[in-house]
Amino acid sequence: MKSFALPQRWLLLFLLALGSFLFCLNTGSVSLQWQELWWCFTGECTDPMQWQLIWQLRLPRLLLGFVAGAGLALSGALLQHLSRNPLADPYLFGVIAGAGLGATVASLYFPALLIALPLAAFVGALLAIALVLVLALLARWQQLDHFILAGVAVSFLFSAATALLLYQHDPFAANRVMFWLMGSLSRASYQPLWFILPCLLLCLLLAVLFRRQLDAMLWSDQTALSLGVPVQPLRLLFLLLTAALTASIVAYCGGIGFVGLMVPHLVRMLLGSQALSLFVGSCLCGGIFLIWVDAGARTLMPSQELPLGVITSACGSLFFLLLLSRRRG
Amino acid sequence: MPTETVLGCQLLSFCWQGDWTLAPLSFELRAGERLGVIGPNGAGKSTLLKLLAGLCQPSSGSVLLQGKPLTQYSRTEKARQLALLSQENEQAQAMTVAELMLLGLLPHKKLWQANSQADLNLLKQCLVQVGLSHKQHQLLSSLSGGELQRAQLGRVLMQGATLILLDEPTNHLDIQYQHQLLQLIASLPLSLIASFHDLNLAASYCDRLLLLHQGKVMALGTPQQVLTAPLISTVFGRPCLVDENPFDGKPRLTFAPGDCV
Repeated sequence: MKSFALPQRWLLLFLLALGSFLFCLNTGSVSLQWQELWWCFTGECTDPMQWQLIWQLRLPRLLLGFVAGAGLALSGALLQHLSRNPLADPYLFGVIAGAGLGATVASLYFPALLIALPLAAFVGALLAIALVLVLALLARWQQLDHFILAGVAVSFLFSAATALLLYQHDPFAANRVMFWLMGSLSRASYQPLWFILPCLLLCLLLAVLFRRQLDAMLWSDQTALSLGVPVQPLRLLFLLLTAALTASIVAYCGGIGFVGLMVPHLVRMLLGSQALSLFVGSCLCGGIFLIWVDAGARTLMPSQELPLGVITSACGSLFFLLLLSRRRG
Repeated sequence: MPTETVLGCQLLSFCWQGDWTLAPLSFELRAGERLGVIGPNGAGKSTLLKLLAGLCQPSSGSVLLQGKPLTQYSRTEKARQLALLSQENEQAQAMTVAELMLLGLLPHKKLWQANSQADLNLLKQCLVQVGLSHKQHQLLSSLSGGELQRAQLGRVLMQGATLILLDEPTNHLDIQYQHQLLQLIASLPLSLIASFHDLNLAASYCDRLLLLHQGKVMALGTPQQVLTAPLISTVFGRPCLVDENPFDGKPRLTFAPGDCV
């Protein structure tokens, strides 16, 4: 990519997104002819099975995967930018542990309510973020590093509570909750999109509008303040926005790790670290990455589906090892 | 209008946990004037600069920027008049020079406004002023300490502020870059308040000096008035000799090394 100018890289990225979308749409246990795929979109499809496969199964899953990947990567990029810490990740603020606890509570105590599960995961995630904020504010911590420490503490606390609940209740509940802990798109439908997409778009819109302010905050708090940026309110706003976005994704897709940590690093290498390119690029790359991961999850093992978290974690570990060896070299 | 007052403070003070970090002090800065703030570590130099920049609230007194209390300015209004170049060696080094300098436009732009051609022309002009035209697309991490400071100064120029506060601008710079930076600042139509550790640099590049010690003003005046051997020896706790810098006629200080006391 180094040999391409910046506009060309953007074009390549958009083409890659489009190509990945089409390719992943036709990847799975059943493969369609390209012409048949085309017919599904033009309405000339004569086979109702094919139509259903594309419109009811693959397309919602693909869209959810793209939106979830975009959202996680955007959250990670925003948090890394705000904290000036390249290792910040939506995980670290306890959001996923909180969502896991919420989902556990819901699936143990209200198993009949289908809507309760995502809602409970969402509430659990918000609870975790609230706890982190309260801890950080009580201790009068100023820097986001301290928020991260509080987030780690809350993460462990919530994970412990989840483990305790699962240990005390029926062993089958653990299977149900595994979903939240490892991440999966198998529950995909169009409905979660109505929930996640507005969060994602709002986050992206505000991140783009406040691009200069965010860049100033990347530089230093003092410089940002002297440039007239309301540092603390903005930081709180984006903290809450990323929490809501991550929570809404975790509520439907579970805890898909490493996307939020890894993708922004990749984007910085490709497009630079200025807020605008980082945030838009992270959305695109995160989306592309997750639909490929999901395509892998569906096809790598012939008879079963792998949890997404398994693949993203493996990719993440490989990526950081490569990064490490490149730094050394 | 060389006598116009840019910044004034009246009985400004800052109290932290019952102690004077900065005892009440008053002074005025005229347009185009360069004021150096000197004193030992912990004398209150950084506190004074933070108060003047409005980054923390004074315990008493007020700061007047162009005759109007600082508290009555909106954030962006203030940023258009007053810029701060702070001391931390910051980590946002993955930005390019141009990206950093364009940050200076922040207080002049609405959220949805893109950078116009006029802005890019201004960028070009400011790049020339700080001598970084050839490096505008380079990452900050690839610059030398002096170039980094100049890039930051470029950001301040883009900001369009006429008053700059600098917290130890020559830290981490070698002698050549120290003089280059201060000479550059002196050549620009700016009013300046800067803190210094190097008293000789302060003497050469400032019109007036403010000497702080334990939060109190020990002296305020021209370098000749402030940099006297008895005063400096007392404040810095080190015998010192004052003579004349043969190049510019400003006071020159020489401190006695350890075993010569």
